[in-house]
Amino acid sequence: MTSGSFKKAWDRFFFTPISPLPLAWFRIFYGTCVTVTLLLLHSEWLDWFGVHAWVTRSTMARVEPGVRLDLFSVIPQDDRWIAAFFWIFLVFALMLTAGLWTRVSSVFVFLCLTSIQQRNLYILNGGDVFLRVTGFFLMFAPAGAALSLDRWIAIRRGRQGSEPKPILPWAQRMIQFELAFLYFTSAWWKLKGHTWVNGTALYYVFHLHALARFPLPDWIRAPVLLKIGGWMTILFEFCLGVFIWIPRFRYPILLLGVLFHFTLEYSLNTPIFQWDVLTAYVLFIDPADLERLWYSVRSHLTPALESLGSRH
Amino acid sequence: MRSTVVRPSTAKDRLVIDSMVAKNNPATVPQKSQRKRTYRSGQAESGNGAHSAASDGNDFRPGLISAFILFHLIAIICWGLPWQARPVQTVNAILRPYMLWTGLFQSWNMFAPDPTPLNSYVKAVVITRDRHLKVWNFPRMEELNLSQRYRQERYRKFQEVLPDIANQALWPDVATHVARMFASEADPPDRVMLIRFSSPIDPARGESEESPAQPWDFYDDYIDPGDLK
Repeated sequence: MTSGSFKKAWDRFFFTPISPLPLAWFRIFYGTCVTVTLLLLHSEWLDWFGVHAWVTRSTMARVEPGVRLDLFSVIPQDDRWIAAFFWIFLVFALMLTAGLWTRVSSVFVFLCLTSIQQRNLYILNGGDVFLRVTGFFLMFAPAGAALSLDRWIAIRRGRQGSEPKPILPWAQRMIQFELAFLYFTSAWWKLKGHTWVNGTALYYVFHLHALARFPLPDWIRAPVLLKIGGWMTILFEFCLGVFIWIPRFRYPILLLGVLFHFTLEYSLNTPIFQWDVLTAYVLFIDPADLERLWYSVRSHLTPALESLGSRH
Repeated sequence: MRSTVVRPSTAKDRLVIDSMVAKNNPATVPQKSQRKRTYRSGQAESGNGAHSAASDGNDFRPGLISAFILFHLIAIICWGLPWQARPVQTVNAILRPYMLWTGLFQSWNMFAPDPTPLNSYVKAVVITRDRHLKVWNFPRMEELNLSQRYRQERYRKFQEVLPDIANQALWPDVATHVARMFASEADPPDRVMLIRFSSPIDPARGESEESPAQPWDFYDDYIDPGDLK
């Protein structure tokens, strides 16, 4: 590949305008996951992040030194201020989901999300980290260009037409890159572990009592199946990281990814971890297919809604 | 007259034949070729007003954005890959302040390199001034219902990392937090012990032979009354 052809490919990948639809759906899913995360933590906001939290701010600063984007360093150290911070965070998460003041909302959501994670790094899972790193790039993306209140208001005011304008995809590409990188790196990490290589890793995973959610059938926990499952996990994560970029393999890989995460959601108690990662899948779907899916859903729902309306 | 079968040899031939067929019977043309594809992931139709920003030679923004993208690709790849090569570690050392500041630090080592080989949970024992014993149990997921497990899962994560000797800086804070729960002017907390109970997971032994949990008193210290204010 010459430098000229590389530049063309780079420009085509990062700068050729595309439909804003996948990014808009990602924004909605992302905002929903952030909102749910906050609501799940609601009863323990102050236990984890308050003045007298499980880990104090001074201890965190000592064990994790360095300058960080952390709003807790600027708000007064008072539980009432901290509670207010969370309520404001929640409002901006809802605004981001709805696509209201989208750019501002995305910046606030990122700042707040990274602040609470920097405040206590000991309770984070991979889903939290994924929300944080993709939230960084979401700030730079025109996430309100479709399916948003911003756009609806702009149409009402005559500032935009009925068809959404194409957007530059570079920020979306970085979010897609983060998803692929997650899987690829995860597979690499597992190859460094002797239990994944010798096939006993899933035995440990499914015998962690604190992690179990719904029971698995006994036959799935047979040693030989757990071995095969472990190796398939590594292979599968590698494929998700690499082949997701090849259109011919994309949809089958995404479908397998959805089944993979649904299986984990069923068997492991890792709240919304799976959903956090699944949010980015929509970015790999062809906008024409998204539209076709939407029309199909609408065509099935409309008669049902009409008959429901006529009965009442 | 002999009929002639035309076999399309090129994509262009196929399009010509498709259009000829469509004139006679539009229903035979596949839906995908009929559907107006205004957008396609990674491509744009010409003539719809969209243009590549890169095509405008007077606009320096694509160059700036490309530099931004390239910088972050290198930073994220070097930081996230489990690779100890010297150039990678050099890049990480240089970019560490930026990665920590922005929150772009990341490590995708879920259950890796190996899942934890222990089932464990933590309890705190508080001894008061009058020598009463109070016990606080960190929430154990296996003892909670589905809804509680979903909401309190952070405690599982915290119990997993807390007893690690690398996290000993957290122990006084945790002990103080527990002591505060039993704060009482009549009989204040005097001493707190943090105890981990753990049993190994052993594939060779199987489920029926799980050993009972063994205690490990990993923290034991007096509470300063001033810390409870």
